[in-house]
Amino acid sequence: MKSIITLNVNGEMHEIAVNPWRTLLDVLRDDLRLTGTKRACEQGACGVCTVIMDGKAILSCLTLAMDCEGHFISTIESLASSEGLHPLQQSFIDNGAVQCGFCTPGVIMSAKALLDENPNPDDTDIKEALAGTYCRCTGHIKTVEAVKKVAGSNREVK
Amino acid sequence: MPHKEKDFSVIGKRQPKLDGPLKTKGRSQFTDDIELSGMLYGKIVRSPIARGRIININTTRAESLSGVKAVITNKDCPGVKVSPDRLLLCSDRVNFIGDEVAAVAAIDEDTAAEAAELIKVEYEPLTAVFSFEDATAKDAPVIHDECKNNSLDEYNIDFGNVDKAFAEADHVRIGECIFNPNHNCFAEHHVVIADYSLPGKLSIWTPNQSPLYVQKSMGGVLGISESNVRVFNLNTGGAFSGRIGPRQQSFIAAILSQKASRPVKIRCDADEEFVVYPGGGYFKYIIKTGVMKDGTIKATEATYLFDCGAYWNFAFNVLLRCKYHLIPQVYHMEAMRWNERAVYTNNPPNMYPHGAAFLQLKLAQETELDLIAKEIGMDPMELKLKNAVAKGDTTLTNIHYASCGLKESIKKAAKKASWKKKFGKLPPYRGIGIGCGAMNSGGPDKSGALIKIGEDGKLSLFVGLPDMGQGSHTAMAMIAAETLGVTIEDVEVVAGDTNSAPFDIGAFGQRGTFFTGNAVRLACLDAKKQLASSAAKKLGVKPSQLIFCDRKIFPAKAPEQALLFKDIVSETLHSKDGKHIMGKGFYHTSSPTKEPWVSTLAYSFGAQVAEVEVDPDTGIVILLKVTHAHDVGRAINPLAIEGQIDGQVFSGMGQILSEECIMEKGKVLNPSWLDYRIGRSFEVPELEYDIIETNDPYGPYGAKEVGEGPIVCTMAIANAVNNAIGIPVREYPITPERVLHAIKEKSKK
Amino acid sequence: MRLPRFEYLKPSSLHECLELLEGSGHETRVMSGGTDFLVRLKQGVISPQKVLSIRSVEELNFVSEDDKGDLQIGACTNLSDLLRHPLVLTKFPSLHHAINSVGSKHIRNMATIGGNLCLAPRCWYYNQTKQWRHAIEVCYRTGGKVCHAISGSKRCHAINSSDTVPMLIALDARVCLQKKNSERWLSLKDYFKDDGRHHTVLEKGEMLTSIVIPSETQKARTTFIKIQHRIGLDFAIGSIGASVKSNGKEINLSLVINSINSAPLILNKAAQIIMESGFSKAAIDKAAEVARGETGAVTNLFTSAGYKRHIVEVLVKQALSELKLMQGKGGTKH
Repeated sequence: MKSIITLNVNGEMHEIAVNPWRTLLDVLRDDLRLTGTKRACEQGACGVCTVIMDGKAILSCLTLAMDCEGHFISTIESLASSEGLHPLQQSFIDNGAVQCGFCTPGVIMSAKALLDENPNPDDTDIKEALAGTYCRCTGHIKTVEAVKKVAGSNREVK
Repeated sequence: MPHKEKDFSVIGKRQPKLDGPLKTKGRSQFTDDIELSGMLYGKIVRSPIARGRIININTTRAESLSGVKAVITNKDCPGVKVSPDRLLLCSDRVNFIGDEVAAVAAIDEDTAAEAAELIKVEYEPLTAVFSFEDATAKDAPVIHDECKNNSLDEYNIDFGNVDKAFAEADHVRIGECIFNPNHNCFAEHHVVIADYSLPGKLSIWTPNQSPLYVQKSMGGVLGISESNVRVFNLNTGGAFSGRIGPRQQSFIAAILSQKASRPVKIRCDADEEFVVYPGGGYFKYIIKTGVMKDGTIKATEATYLFDCGAYWNFAFNVLLRCKYHLIPQVYHMEAMRWNERAVYTNNPPNMYPHGAAFLQLKLAQETELDLIAKEIGMDPMELKLKNAVAKGDTTLTNIHYASCGLKESIKKAAKKASWKKKFGKLPPYRGIGIGCGAMNSGGPDKSGALIKIGEDGKLSLFVGLPDMGQGSHTAMAMIAAETLGVTIEDVEVVAGDTNSAPFDIGAFGQRGTFFTGNAVRLACLDAKKQLASSAAKKLGVKPSQLIFCDRKIFPAKAPEQALLFKDIVSETLHSKDGKHIMGKGFYHTSSPTKEPWVSTLAYSFGAQVAEVEVDPDTGIVILLKVTHAHDVGRAINPLAIEGQIDGQVFSGMGQILSEECIMEKGKVLNPSWLDYRIGRSFEVPELEYDIIETNDPYGPYGAKEVGEGPIVCTMAIANAVNNAIGIPVREYPITPERVLHAIKEKSKK
Repeated sequence: MRLPRFEYLKPSSLHECLELLEGSGHETRVMSGGTDFLVRLKQGVISPQKVLSIRSVEELNFVSEDDKGDLQIGACTNLSDLLRHPLVLTKFPSLHHAINSVGSKHIRNMATIGGNLCLAPRCWYYNQTKQWRHAIEVCYRTGGKVCHAISGSKRCHAINSSDTVPMLIALDARVCLQKKNSERWLSLKDYFKDDGRHHTVLEKGEMLTSIVIPSETQKARTTFIKIQHRIGLDFAIGSIGASVKSNGKEINLSLVINSINSAPLILNKAAQIIMESGFSKAAIDKAAEVARGETGAVTNLFTSAGYKRHIVEVLVKQALSELKLMQGKGGTKH
């Protein structure tokens, strides 16, 4: 039997009728049509479904929608603003870290969660944040570099 | 004609991908993002046994489940074959675990999954075979009646006097390499939407490397005129040699759609990925090499045994027959022999891993060269340099190199990696290895391109070439912008719909930059000629005296008379003669040799040095550093080229060190990205590149491929491991267990 | 991969949770982080009618130090939160290292310590979709009568792959098991059974609610080593948690191996050699060799049996060598 839940996604409140077995990923993509968050392995091994919940990068394919009430969820669609792209998005573009683009939202959100928590991560922190994602195209080389550049510019600002 | 060196305005710049903003915003539409009106969801029922007879299929309960709109079996498509040996849906026999037997379409995925469970299939299991040896044994069961002894293909060819060359060699060695199955693992799982709700008209949305091939194949199989098959390829989430044609589920989705009169989407789960496209199969190479004591290669004999699984992919037939070109492709030799044998087994049908299985052949050949170098007391880098092909050479199999930067690549990579300081001087369990490769820029084929110029001076460039992330569309836009003297922001690439795409066989075989790039350049030159004609009249000069640069057109000797590009477009359109500036280009080549496919006009060349550290306790190999030098002809977009090298080093690393589909009686035991070991961010090495430009006379602005050239150099990693432990590992991937086994074998000697 | 249908319940207190669990078997299951639970649900290897989501139960989510200095952790405490907690970071750095090796950062952001302790043992023939498992005979784990991992065996040999278990056992952790109206404490090492199917002593209606690490272990020299093929996201090929206390006269050594068998392996014989002979190279080599023999029946799951035994030897040698190095320096490696 469906329950009505209220989800806070990208700062907007959404009232949705869901069955208990629907994941957050299902709701984001199919109900809210926020298709930037992707669906692939659905077992927690690829990270393409990564969103940020209460500041942490999580896997929406392994999160029940019904467990998300009362939490703050942000997806890739929340990053760019009317003023332009988020520095991470720009860095990914400028540094060749986007190829097929399928994993890109998940990788960027993983990086964003890291930088929000720690604006000056070292290489190990960055690799650790991205190790749960999967990028066959770049081989995780330019993606790590793109995050480093943003982290580096954070250091310069400091 | 070779393109003259000059300062380019657009080409050669580190150009971010044009679709970067959309992709980083998550706004690029992939097939699974699409929802069509009335769309249903499909699920396939697959055989749980490797070989058997279908006794009965009961679909009654599935058909009566609420929400189910269509259920199909072979009865809905009797006799329809997707290839000579494979039915669209199995009728009376199944031949591998995962073989498609039935399918359902329902209002949502949950209902489709439930309905699929309700379809009951009764099987009579039959004896199955899972290895080359078992399949070719005397009393082996015959998998396909028309193929005795399960022997699918056998092909032998000699070039030169092989026996004489071996007899004259000072030193001969034979070695064997075994390659276990691996998988391409693209991020976007297989997915297809088929709309066959209108008779005789089929629309397909599916990520793929060749919309044309999908169109022709589906049209041919389903009896639809090609132009009535419309293929949409909006974005493709990785391909890596694995998405060249339609898969079974594309045809199944079409039949379901026809029956239900509604569009149907079928998406593959993680474990289905490992059966619908199993990637590379099991290969065995036996390599015999003969050299003189000064390192000159006399002859090579390669015997290639291939388990193709339960069904034969016809494109592979071409590939198999042409692989022998690779043997003398990089090194001179007097003679070569190629023996190839492919057999059917009841493993999932195999195709090719990333690199089209060229890596495996080159790896087998080059590891043998390293070993023979060791045996004759020669530095392997020197041996490879000595025998390396060069510009102007013609190989044993009649491939001619109009440009070749192989020697420069070897020297640069070796120097940058401090080869001389390290080789033979590293501490125990540290190793260094070198690998050299070449790759064809497509084959003898054709591409078209169209360009339309708006009154605002913006270009619409129509190509049939997909962009799977390699940056092909950005490269095409750069070529167009360079040719017409505009900026890249002025170019929009229009692709992804066969209704509007010019002829192009697709993004595979490393052909995009070379073939479509040339077609684009020709289309732009056609448009340029029209513009030059108008501008020349206005300026009172000859068209040949005009320069196109910075969105302006002006006489070379009078830049102050510059006219705006867009103004000429507009004036030409509205002139008394009234002409819309549109250009068309078509580039085609015929085979420079009799043999198809792998012979083409331009080859890229590369050399790679890898350094590793081996933990002698655990056998774990850490890839420390890779130094890669590649002759790309002309670097249209160095940023994209680096990206290609990165991805291919990563993929080669995986295929050599860790990626393996662990098979047991036709089952993949590790069909998930967790248990199938692809590296992640911590596994990647330090990487240095050198991009070399040899300005190929045939390539657009001198450019050649780089789509798979680097991956066939990654055997450097294997050579480095063998160097580190002092004994070759002969079974791939080089897992920690195999390393320890090799170390133990060495200690016994 | 789709989830099957189930009823979702979200108890707001421990009491409510235990009420709902009362007398239930596998038809009602608790879920905290869900990172392993939901995958198994999608694969159809478990099919509860009711799922109790307990991640928000406050009483199960805490880290504190009691007046004896014992560290107390609620079962639903998130792993990333644990990593940030100063008590864990400063007082139990080897445990910190073990927690940090679990899955990926994404997984740790979702998973809980209780979930990791209760992690269902893994097997190639079990952790697969229903459609995949149609290709094999039903095994012990899923209600059948065979083990595909060790042919002819009378029990399930799925492998306990938790990363925190060996370290927590080496730290003498105790766990609280509660059901409605009852509570019992036992040593973590007694929580596990060497059976891939029934791998814990949990009774019907019972759940693990908290973990306690005694303060004395803070004085121990400890180390945790995980050998894995892929850093940042992988189950262990083998792992070891080790702790040693010495008062100058006596050595009290604990060596616990995991990811080899269905239960964590406490290497009593190997430890005894060191406790009797000290940390000489000869004793370390001997202990490692003896450890190989303590592994018992080992499967070819994920890696060959021979390799697993070899890894046990390597882990013991490395752990003992590290503990030896710490002698005189005090504290831990991490």
